[in-house]
Amino acid sequence: MSQKDILLVEDNSDDVELTRIAFAEANVANRLEVVGDGAEALDYLFARGRYVHRDPDDLPSIVLLDLNLPKVDGREVLQAIRANEKTRGLPVVVLTTSTEPFDVEASYALGVNSYIRKPVDFEQFVWAVKQVGLYWLVLNHPREGG
Amino acid sequence: MSSAGNSTQTTGDAVFRLAVASSARGMAIVDARGRWQQANPAMERMLGQDGGRLAGTDVTEMVADGDAQRLLDALDALLGGGQPVHLSLAFVHADGHEVPVHMSMAPMREADGAVQFVVLDTQDDETAAMARQLADARTELVAMHRLQASFAHGVSHDLRAPLRAIDSFSALLATHLDAGLDDTSRDYIARIRGASTRMAELIDALLELSRAMRAELRSAPVDIGLLVDWAHAELADTDAGRDAQIEVQPGLQALGDERQLRLLVNHLLHNAWKFSRDRDRVRVEIGGEPRADRIVVHVRDHGSGFDMRYADRLFEPFQRLHGPEQAGGNGLGLAIVRCVAERHGGRVWAQSEPGAGSTFFVELPAVPDSGGQA
Repeated sequence: MSQKDILLVEDNSDDVELTRIAFAEANVANRLEVVGDGAEALDYLFARGRYVHRDPDDLPSIVLLDLNLPKVDGREVLQAIRANEKTRGLPVVVLTTSTEPFDVEASYALGVNSYIRKPVDFEQFVWAVKQVGLYWLVLNHPREGG
Repeated sequence: MSSAGNSTQTTGDAVFRLAVASSARGMAIVDARGRWQQANPAMERMLGQDGGRLAGTDVTEMVADGDAQRLLDALDALLGGGQPVHLSLAFVHADGHEVPVHMSMAPMREADGAVQFVVLDTQDDETAAMARQLADARTELVAMHRLQASFAHGVSHDLRAPLRAIDSFSALLATHLDAGLDDTSRDYIARIRGASTRMAELIDALLELSRAMRAELRSAPVDIGLLVDWAHAELADTDAGRDAQIEVQPGLQALGDERQLRLLVNHLLHNAWKFSRDRDRVRVEIGGEPRADRIVVHVRDHGSGFDMRYADRLFEPFQRLHGPEQAGGNGLGLAIVRCVAERHGGRVWAQSEPGAGSTFFVELPAVPDSGGQA
């Protein structure tokens, strides 16, 4: 079971709160690190900018990525993650409102691990986030000791 | 250029000039160096230029780039003693649009045989003009599609997020206040959540309609029976335990885009199922009759039916013949069905008798050489 942080890349504060609640309901104890745009996400992962004091080897267990983000959008974040040797194997789950074919297609082409459409219904949303948490943090064997 | 002389000649020349000036065909005189000399009003209109302004300028300046050389070559051939020349080219109007024409050029031979001028006589090239209009319309259509696609994308993301907040925080509020909530409060919260769910479904349906209208169609033989099976499975999933008998004519096929046809079948079957709510069991028959190079697929249910007086509204977006109590939906399902059928070059229509059920017909392209269905 992975104990490392979960990186949530989400600009909508309501969705951040709901994700927190969902993880709490799922008894997911991992700390949730939230960044509000794509640029901040990359700064966090590559230990630069305001995250320059972070240990670059200390990567999150999973990245929950919204696609439509300010500054640098989700697709570019995904691309940067896959382009860098250190972060290439990071599990990335796109958690977004859209199921537009070009969004889905682009995400898979860029090597996303999973594509989840955020339900409007609260119970369904909680259930979806729980599934993601249980799968990636409990069932899935992490890359390193985690 | 009327010469002084007897009145008949003057009249004759004046009448001839009037003829040229009145002609609906653009006519002009060009000198041996390819410069405009004079142009009649029709030519002036064609070019959007005043004849006086044109005079002395190169004829190629008013001609589309790709055609300039051909015009010069024709002029040379003509001046070298050649026969009248005919060519198709495009002038460029002052406002920038192209005017395709068929043009004749003939030498104006003086009494001594010298040629100092050439007369041009033009006729609108309607086919080329129409082709250009078509190209312009297509460009505009592509631009509109792009706009619609980005709109749909925006709707997809931006409208659903606040809905999720409304639904979720209403639910959380209910949990949070739990003991303090009376029945009325619970009812109000349930209504809020119900409304946001309906709105989410409407957004999804709008996106579906939008995609049905603009998605690229990939044509291939499609197994209608398989699409029905999938739709049936989905319906059985959401309405578990419902007694349903759905029969499909074996070998039923159509030629079209599988994804779009799947939408079409889903909506028709969904309706049939929904309007059979008051029956003991859902009974639907699906079949098809070949008609020349088409197949007319029918979906027959034995549900509540509808009043044929409103049949013409059936396939309009947002027009509903049944309220929510009678299982009316958001009014887009049949609009999507019609859109898919029409994009396949077909059409839809329906027949019904209240209390006895409905039959929906969809005419689609048939798979060639399918030798009749079943």
